[in-house]
Amino acid sequence: MEEKFTLKKVGEKRYLLDARGGVCPYPQLLTLRALSELNPGDMLEVLLDNPPSVRDIPPALQRKGYKVSEVLSVEKGVWKITITL
Amino acid sequence: MNENSSTSHDLKSVNCRISSEIERFVGRYSIGRDGEPLNERASLHFLRIKVPGGRLTADQLLGIADLAQKYGRGRGEVTDRQDVQLHWIEAENALEIFQRMGELGFTTDMCGQGFSGARYGDVRNIVCCPVSGIGKGELIDPYPLVKKLTNFFTGNRDFLDMPRKFKIAVSGCGSDCTRVEVNDLGLVAVKKDGEIGFTMMVGGSVGASLPGPKLAEPTFAFIKPEDAFEVVVASVEIHRDYGSRESKAKARFKWLINEWGVKKFLSVLEEKTGRKMEEYNGRLFLNEDDHRGVQPQNRRGYYYVHIPLLGGLLTAHDMINLAEVAKEYGNGELRLTPQQNIIVPNIKDKDAATRKLKRLGFQLHGSSLRWNSIGCASDFCGKTKEPHAKDAVKSVVERLETRFDHGLLNAAALKVHVSGCPNDCCAARTAVVGLHGKLFKEGVELKQHYSLLLGGDPSKSKLARQVVEKASLEDLKNGLEALLKKYLRLKRNRETLAEFCNRHTIEVLKSYLDGG
Repeated sequence: MEEKFTLKKVGEKRYLLDARGGVCPYPQLLTLRALSELNPGDMLEVLLDNPPSVRDIPPALQRKGYKVSEVLSVEKGVWKITITL
Repeated sequence: MNENSSTSHDLKSVNCRISSEIERFVGRYSIGRDGEPLNERASLHFLRIKVPGGRLTADQLLGIADLAQKYGRGRGEVTDRQDVQLHWIEAENALEIFQRMGELGFTTDMCGQGFSGARYGDVRNIVCCPVSGIGKGELIDPYPLVKKLTNFFTGNRDFLDMPRKFKIAVSGCGSDCTRVEVNDLGLVAVKKDGEIGFTMMVGGSVGASLPGPKLAEPTFAFIKPEDAFEVVVASVEIHRDYGSRESKAKARFKWLINEWGVKKFLSVLEEKTGRKMEEYNGRLFLNEDDHRGVQPQNRRGYYYVHIPLLGGLLTAHDMINLAEVAKEYGNGELRLTPQQNIIVPNIKDKDAATRKLKRLGFQLHGSSLRWNSIGCASDFCGKTKEPHAKDAVKSVVERLETRFDHGLLNAAALKVHVSGCPNDCCAARTAVVGLHGKLFKEGVELKQHYSLLLGGDPSKSKLARQVVEKASLEDLKNGLEALLKKYLRLKRNRETLAEFCNRHTIEVLKSYLDGG
């Protein structure tokens, strides 16, 4: 699996999933899979450059009971979605 | 084991669990974006089932019908690249859909994702003459080449991060049934000194990317059939390696061809392939066969039935019926066409087959318009309002067919292309009659209007000219009726509508549309 689709621990209870370059539906599926592996109190940050995923992931996560605390544009064409468990 | 290495180990196993389910689909499957922001049909994603060369079996079509019923609200559409698109696809069902598609032998292309930069372009479904291998008078059967190229490019990671998408069309019958001029690369079968091969056209794209709408340019090169695969791959490599990454707007192949010129492109191609291109200065298209209707095949006693769908729409029920007709009367094969239609080939009892198709509700008669007109899927991409492109094309064709003798319409060589928005996915600029949708704010509302373009004639390298900037569909239909009446009164000998339009100024054409 490509390096960019891996989950990294970046701090105390903080994890990063780099889904840049992923076409739909992979960013959404990878995010859900990653979340299923984390624990309450963990925070997941997902990096994306795919506009439809930025549109779709927050409501999809909210429907599953996850809390999307932030959707941030980090640079032109790249967004970060932060989810707290 | 300390905490950090324990965490690394856990993450590695987590990554494996994340990736193993998904990895085998990456690069071969995706879902595309629908629905933003005006999508009245509430579809978020589409599935573009790539059908190599437009050829599929009845069982494959039954499989698509099943997918349409389970995931796509029971409908689908044939596209102008010989794919089948389903809508209302949920991301969470994607893996099971991809699994099923793999069992059926299908993949997707990477669709338009909307990445902001000049990245992640792939090779789209290669358009192929829909009567390849069976058409009477065919110069060369392009399907083996199309299949080989499709197998090469599908999922090939060397070609999934190009500056932009790359579109290829191959025609073997001597006509422009594949609309090569709107492709980045088109191969057209020709004869040179008795030898059959291809000539190549490059840099076509009529969308808004820079340097603007452009028909593919002839290279005047002659390519032997055995060299065609290598030439196409090398050309795509040129797009990948030399195409501009400066911005998305400059990243289509037409920008590079415009910057370099065809001569430099050929020079680089020759260097890459290690062979000098032979010249070809003959005619590009040898005939104008649109393969419509019921036609005899090159094998005596066999026929194909070309069913016009006017916009390509099929219910799952239609798909099942067509699959059964193909099994009962043909050899179980079907062909999708670049005009959003479907062909059942290899039929012996054509009368029985056509009777059955009519009983099933398929219309098999009409003017050539019915086979040659196309409309984009604007009702799903979310950039338009009613009347949407597919409804518009149907409405225009039906109006003209009720008002005019079909023989006269055929002689006019009319084609109607309707694009719902300025992206012009259905290449309205290349049609004899092009409708180009746009939203205008009227008070607090956004209303869908169309501009009218006339006189597109790719065989003469002519793009259609805009004659009306903004009108309702109803006004345009009235105008077209008036224009056609004028054309029929004033045309010279066997002059087509395109030729008639192109010898008049825009002001005169406007007056004809107004009934003057």
